Amino acid sequence: MTVAQPAAEAIEEGPARHGVLRYAAAKVGGALLSIAMVIVATFFAFRLLPGDPVRALAQGRNMTPEQLDLERHRLGLDKSLAEQFVHFVNQTVHFDLGVSYEYKRPVVDLIGERIGSTLLLTGTALVMAVSLGIWQGARAGWRPGSRFDKISTGISLVLWSVPTFWLGLLLLMVFAAGIGPIPGIFPTRGIESVDAPSGFPYLLDVAKHMVLPCLTMVAVVYAQYLLVMRSSVIDEVGQDYVTTARAKGLRDDEIRRRHAVPNALLPTVTLVFMRIGFVVGGAVTVEAIFSWPGLGQLFYEAIRVPDFTLMQGTFLLITVSVILMNTLADVVYHLLDPRVRSA
Amino acid sequence: MRKVICALAAIGLLALGGLASPAVAAEPAKPKVIRVGATQAMDSMNPFLAVRLVSSSIHRWMYGFLTVPDPKTLQPSPDLAESWTTSPDGLTWTFKIRAAKWSDGQPITADDAAWTFTKMMTDDGAKTANGPAVENFASVTAAGQDLTIKLKAPQASMLDNPVPIMPKHVWEKVGDISKYEADDFPAVTSGPYIAVEQKKDQYVKLKANPNYWRGPAKIDELQVIFYDNPAAAVVGLKKGDIDLIGRLAPPDFEALKGDPNIVQWNTQGRRSSYLQVNLGATTSDNKPIGDGHPALKDQRVRQALHYAIDKQKLVDEVQNGLAVPADGSIVPPMYKDFFWSATGDQKVTHDVAKANKILDDAGYKKGADGIRTMPDGSRKLQFRFSIHTDTPIEDKLAEYLTGWFKEIGIVLTTKRLDSSKFTEETGTTALFDLAISGWSVNPDPEEVLATHLCSRRPTASGQGGGTESFYCDPQYEALYRQQQKELDRPKRAEIIKQMEQRLYTDAPVIALYYPNDLEGYRKDRIAKVTPIPEDKGMLYGGSGYWPFYTLEAVSKDGDAADDGSNTGLYVGLGAAVIVLVGAGLFLARRRQGVADDRE
Repeated sequence: MTVAQPAAEAIEEGPARHGVLRYAAAKVGGALLSIAMVIVATFFAFRLLPGDPVRALAQGRNMTPEQLDLERHRLGLDKSLAEQFVHFVNQTVHFDLGVSYEYKRPVVDLIGERIGSTLLLTGTALVMAVSLGIWQGARAGWRPGSRFDKISTGISLVLWSVPTFWLGLLLLMVFAAGIGPIPGIFPTRGIESVDAPSGFPYLLDVAKHMVLPCLTMVAVVYAQYLLVMRSSVIDEVGQDYVTTARAKGLRDDEIRRRHAVPNALLPTVTLVFMRIGFVVGGAVTVEAIFSWPGLGQLFYEAIRVPDFTLMQGTFLLITVSVILMNTLADVVYHLLDPRVRSA
Repeated sequence: MRKVICALAAIGLLALGGLASPAVAAEPAKPKVIRVGATQAMDSMNPFLAVRLVSSSIHRWMYGFLTVPDPKTLQPSPDLAESWTTSPDGLTWTFKIRAAKWSDGQPITADDAAWTFTKMMTDDGAKTANGPAVENFASVTAAGQDLTIKLKAPQASMLDNPVPIMPKHVWEKVGDISKYEADDFPAVTSGPYIAVEQKKDQYVKLKANPNYWRGPAKIDELQVIFYDNPAAAVVGLKKGDIDLIGRLAPPDFEALKGDPNIVQWNTQGRRSSYLQVNLGATTSDNKPIGDGHPALKDQRVRQALHYAIDKQKLVDEVQNGLAVPADGSIVPPMYKDFFWSATGDQKVTHDVAKANKILDDAGYKKGADGIRTMPDGSRKLQFRFSIHTDTPIEDKLAEYLTGWFKEIGIVLTTKRLDSSKFTEETGTTALFDLAISGWSVNPDPEEVLATHLCSRRPTASGQGGGTESFYCDPQYEALYRQQQKELDRPKRAEIIKQMEQRLYTDAPVIALYYPNDLEGYRKDRIAKVTPIPEDKGMLYGGSGYWPFYTLEAVSKDGDAADDGSNTGLYVGLGAAVIVLVGAGLFLARRRQGVADDRE
């Protein structure tokens, strides 16, 4: 509701600003509604899953019926569904995601401990994949059918279709273990060495641990940026303004960089924003291969147990960040592209 | 532009990362460090809460218990309790606590033990990990070094108490045990090691306890390093990032073959794998539950199934030969004192003709389609076999069973379930006919025996009670109560063997095989490790701290590793130079571009 306030004040500033703010307010309102629905859906979706979580936790352990009851009480599972729901909503709106069944610690803490390493890995991978994709896509799209186009598009599509798990393990076996003349220079797991040095060498150590997971993530996803960029550059190539620029005698590279690419960037920007939302979710597979202590790993563990509060918490975090980033993408798109504004 | 620079910085940093290893490897002083890989992360450093195997193992290396299994016989032997006596009625146990010291120099007294047990009896939050261990305790008192435990009922398994004794002077300051992470390092311990550092989901570092009453361990540091998947851990072992890894599955174990630096450890294990049969499941108030096939209520049908199974074939084909066919029940042969195996007429061997005869005699006639029907003709003998999704071993097992059962006129269809649904259907709602199951057995088999008690069936309101079979048999119950009271170990073992025999012949579960303990370690790093039991025993995941207390490291650090890191240095340098030059060129071109833009 605080968003609506400035929107009202903005009327005096002219119709254009007013439009943007009203648009933003509508989008934010929509996002809040989505989040509310996600909270409700999360609760019921995870309750619909089969299985008694307490029994699942006790699997393979010596648990007497008395102790199982105690556990049910501890987890609040002895209350009615309605009570559990009210409790859950009340907790969630206060940013309390409950206590993990497995770790017996607040989910918020568990997420807090791991979000940094996830953002580092997925963030770096995103930046690299986007840069690589945009650069190759722009060049490929500028001369579709050229050798560069064929090779770069081909390679990216092959990598796109490769299963992440397979590629990751392959990289691990080749570059971490070493095969034949190739020495295993990269570590097999984690974000840092056990006896990690401090200061600048520590950064190097982390960087070294990041190489393989980052490479895996970039290799598997950069094709989407490449393809989107390529097709939107192809659209621009035939445009009148490009012909005009050519007629002015500008160098080809310059036309591409200064005229075509900025115009072609818009769809990619949308895509990037949508992907940023998923950055928080980490990369479950990549983190599992390289034992990267991030959110993906946490989610993976939560499913394996299954640890319902932890699953709920991470699921909520991921969906909410996707919703927020989508909303942001809508708003940014609106600001970037005059055509969206007038439409 | 800023984005591009960020990307370049990231690339540069990654390239420089290639150089980091030599810098780390060049550190001078070399303590003797052994690194153990684990494919599970710690759930908690707090022994009152931790339930995962990796956590309880680490806690075993850190804390003393009342008793510890003897490394040779696996019988309870003195640990923090030097000696003990039992009252004639078996209800009062008096333990003499060893006059040793905590790692912070404070004396260990009976008060520490009394505080630990009393905390668990009075605080629900402290029951999480080992609650059942104190359920039978009436009171615990301490006087000097004497600890007196009064029981509600006799309990012969008292000497296999799984509770680590905690230092009262440290832990009584903890407010809410159920929320305490135990992350104050160094920890105060009484066992061979002291936890000094933990990076969550990454590693735990333990240092040898110099005050340990048996004398300090022969290595300086023990690290437990977590891997998220076994394939990566095997790569880590081959490369030398870790020195030992336990609990391997047959394919991962076989991947270690041929490596001259690695010892493949293949010995008897502590686990038994069995079929769970729905023999007419009931709740704890004896009301039927679930939809089990009525034919399975008939012991003769269960017996026929048992005869149809070729256990040796399962071992060879499903477990790659890395298991022992089960001629006994749920207690594996590793526990010599308690292991029972069938002999003579009782022994069920793979005999299809006999299985067919049993079913013919019992009136289950084969129809025209070769499938048997119930004696009253009401239903065909078509059973479901519940297994977990995505477990190739269980899929293979299902294929073999389906083939064998077909030969005796029984149709088996495989039902794949995700683990929580599997647990519910086979442990609570009884929506199954046959299911795969297994249990890792402790030196004292009481807890696995208890999983077949009437009281473990689900409650009337349909909540699971921890049964492994929905079994409820008066004879078995009587034997269970008898062994609880029998404090004479050989006599008790006899009763326990009778229980196993009962399970074998009545067949609520059909033991298939005992998977071997599969591990691997680097002999260029580990000079000596003693398994538990010493004769063909386990390294990781066994009970007690012996293997890790007796670890000896190879004194000189392998030269081969140094060569490797030098090569690594050159390749790393080369790669870094290429990437940096490339990045530089790219940057230069972009600079040009920026200049163009600014014109």
